[in-house]
This record gives sequence, structure tokens and C-alpha cells, in this order.
Amino acid sequence: MYNKQHLDPHDDTSAQRPDFMPYQNNGGTVVAMGGEDYCIVAATTRLGLGFAIPTRNVCRYAILNDRVVLATAGMYADTVALHKVVTARVKVYQQQQEKPFGLFSAAQLLSNTLYYRRFFPYYTFNVLGGLDQDGQGFVYGFDAIGSGEKVKVVCNGTAQALIQPILDNQVEKKQQYENKQIEKWSLQEALDLVKDVFTSAGERDIYTGDAVDICTVTKQRGVVVETFPLKKD
Amino acid sequence: MFLTRSEYDRGVNTFSPEGRLFQVEYAMEAIKLGSTAVGIQTAEGVVLAVEKRLSSTLLEPNSVEKLVEIDEHVGCAMSGLIADARTMIEHARVEAQNHRFTFDEPMPVESLTQATCDLALRFGEGVEDDDEREEEMMSRPFGVSLLIAGVDEKGPALFYTDPSGTYIRWLAKAIGAGSEAAQSALQEAYYKSMTLSEAETLALRTLKEVMEEKVESNNVEVAVVRTDTKKFVIYTEAQVKECLSRLENRETH
Repeated sequence: MYNKQHLDPHDDTSAQRPDFMPYQNNGGTVVAMGGEDYCIVAATTRLGLGFAIPTRNVCRYAILNDRVVLATAGMYADTVALHKVVTARVKVYQQQQEKPFGLFSAAQLLSNTLYYRRFFPYYTFNVLGGLDQDGQGFVYGFDAIGSGEKVKVVCNGTAQALIQPILDNQVEKKQQYENKQIEKWSLQEALDLVKDVFTSAGERDIYTGDAVDICTVTKQRGVVVETFPLKKD
Repeated sequence: MFLTRSEYDRGVNTFSPEGRLFQVEYAMEAIKLGSTAVGIQTAEGVVLAVEKRLSSTLLEPNSVEKLVEIDEHVGCAMSGLIADARTMIEHARVEAQNHRFTFDEPMPVESLTQATCDLALRFGEGVEDDDEREEEMMSRPFGVSLLIAGVDEKGPALFYTDPSGTYIRWLAKAIGAGSEAAQSALQEAYYKSMTLSEAETLALRTLKEVMEEKVESNNVEVAVVRTDTKKFVIYTEAQVKECLSRLENRETH
């Protein structure tokens, strides 16, 4: 039935080895927004795989300390691995340096950690948010290989194309019909905006839904996590 | 003496029955042969001053270097076997730059000191080089003591390290041959509200008291790390001259 060639283990011209596919896309959307005295970092909880939803409740954020939060979309296994690496580095830092890990250091560390895997990247899309030493909120957005930018507001993940233009329009007053002044957003206004964009994105993106974990970082209360339910369809 | 020590001072990795490591203790003795160095911490910054022994007039004074930069916010004065200090400082410099690369911030002075001290008791230990071959590193304790001065977000700091790898924070510390006399001089004259220029003068006066030769602008070195700029600066000969003339003025008045 088989000719001899097929049985030769050293001949790979005829026998096909399955392709090496180390990546999968589990979707997810993350948003971060920095304010005068707060920062919001939000991450959806649906774990998607093709047209299936294996899990509705995964954690895509990592609280690095009481003023820095990392949220990650993309492949979930890589998300978990990356969060483990970064939280361990933060712990060691805080023990050695005897001081809390700063947001700007976190940005540098994350960038280095991602770029270190330049040729076999973590399939992750990160946002990093938190407070600086004065309690002012800042956020960063990163691509999968560590290129990042300090911004006012950022979205990453499967619904990025749906959410980022809305954030640019509302927060940074971009592409407005009439030029409008950029205004300061109160924490409550910002929370409402974040909930709205996730609710809207959930209507169109099959990988965004179920719920969104919203981490609010303030100097007074540290990191407070609220789970905001989204549609499960 | 050697009967009681009964050869426990031969190996660096063996405790004596009384629980002492003689080689480390001898290394501390080596520092007492080194030139004197003084460090003084004030609220405005930290001053380091060292004596340079110019054994010959034919010697190029600039080539005697006992104050070095570790990073832009941290400097170091040394006494003892200067060649040993080079190894430690090289290590410290790499650690400092590594910290900047990874965390985008200057390394805190205390952890930089700790990182330097990490080398101190690693003698006799093999380290792996790039090709993962074991390489002998150091077969005896470092015969050098360092005064590490710097400014970080917690403010100015002065640390003293010794061959045992211990580090201690001091407000004012003298090391080297004249350290005993210099330390008691510092004990007398130091006060916490001292300005940086008063500290410069005190450092030079202390060196003057313990140095055999007359203090000149070419046989002492002075460096400061200012709290406001957070920068380590080694004084030029002209600046040292200025400090010396301030010292003389104070003494004549």
C-alpha cells in the first residue's frame, strides 16, 4: 500500500509534518485613559477562539502595584506568561530597591521584555496605565515587539479599530467638525466613556463581550477593580 | 601570634575555630596602607576628597586617579589596592547602566553600593564567561575600601564599603592611612547643617592634618555630587586651588 519512500523517516519530501503554529488569537480589547488625578485601565474578559467562546471570564490585567496596571490583549497563553514575567520583575525590583515600582520604569521594562523576544514575540498587545509620583495619570500603548508611546488615551486588541477613533474624537477632540477645546475629564465621565465604548464595540466585535474589568487607579484608594457586564452574545 | 592562628590564615575560604576569616581581616589592614580619603555628606550634597601621594616630582599628577565616576549621579573615592578598585568600579558601572537600560531611571545609591559589594566575597569563585567556560575571578579578598557618594530621589547619601562586603552609611567618613586621625577630626568638626562649601573646606582641612606633604592643588583631588543638580563633578585644579585658598583664609582669620 505504502511505497518504501513513505516509510523512510528521513525523507520529508513526501511525508508532511504538521505546520508549527505557536500562535492563536484569543481576541480581547484593552483600553487605558489617564486623567489629572486618576487612571483607568480596562480589559475584556471573553476568551475567543475562532467562532467559539471557550471561557467568558479570563483576567487580562495585572496589577503591578498600587499605582501601575498592565492590560493585555492577543493570545491568552502569552498574556499569562508575560504577566508572570513582569510581576516577578516588579517584585524583585521592589525588594532590591526598597521603593515602589514607578510607571515610567514599568514602561521601559515592558518595552525591553517584549523586544527581547523580537524574533519569537509574545503575541500580545499591551496598554499600561498608572500614576506618576505626583499622582497624575499617564498611559502607554505598545505593539507586540515593544514599541510604545506615552499618550492620553489608548485602545489595543481586536476592537481597536472600533474604539480608538471614538476615543480620539471624544478625548482629544480630533476630527471634530468645529475645533473644540480639549477639556479635562472627571473620573466619572471617563468611566462612563469607557463603559460606552466597550458596550458599542461588543455589538460589532465577536471577540469583545461578556464583561470588562475596569481598574481605577487613584492616589487615595490605589487600584480598585470593577467588573462591568457586557452582552454575552 | 602565628601559633594561635595555626595556619587558618592561609585559605580564604576557611573559618578559624574562633569564627574569623583572617584573609578578610588582613585585607582590611591593606587599606590602612592606602592614601587617605574623606567623604562628607551635607543637605546640599556630598563631598569626596582624596590625598594623592606623589612619590616623585617626575610623576604626572593627573595620572593618579582616586576619584572616579560610577554613573552621572554617583562617584567614588578609593583607598587601598587601586587595581582591585578598578574591578569593583567596572562592575558598579555596568550595574548602573543596566539599571538605566531596564528601568529608565538612575540607580539608587544604596542598591548600587550593594551591587558593588556583591563582588567582595566572590573570591575563589568561578564565573562563567560568554562561552560558558569557568573562569577564575579573584583568589583573594579585594584589598580596597570605597567611599561611594551620590544623590538619588531620597537625597544625598555617602556609603563606606570594606573588603568583607559590608556597607555602612556615614555622614562623614575617612579611610586609608590617616583614617584614625582624620575620623576623629571629622567627629569634632562635623555638624549636620553644614553647607557644601563648608564641607569642602572641612574635607581639605582634615586631609591637611593627616598628610605628610603640604596640601597643594595637585596632590589632592576633590569631587562633589550636588543635591540640586544630582551630578557628580570632579573639581579641576583651579577649583581645588579656590577651595584651598578658602581654607587658608579661614585659618588666618
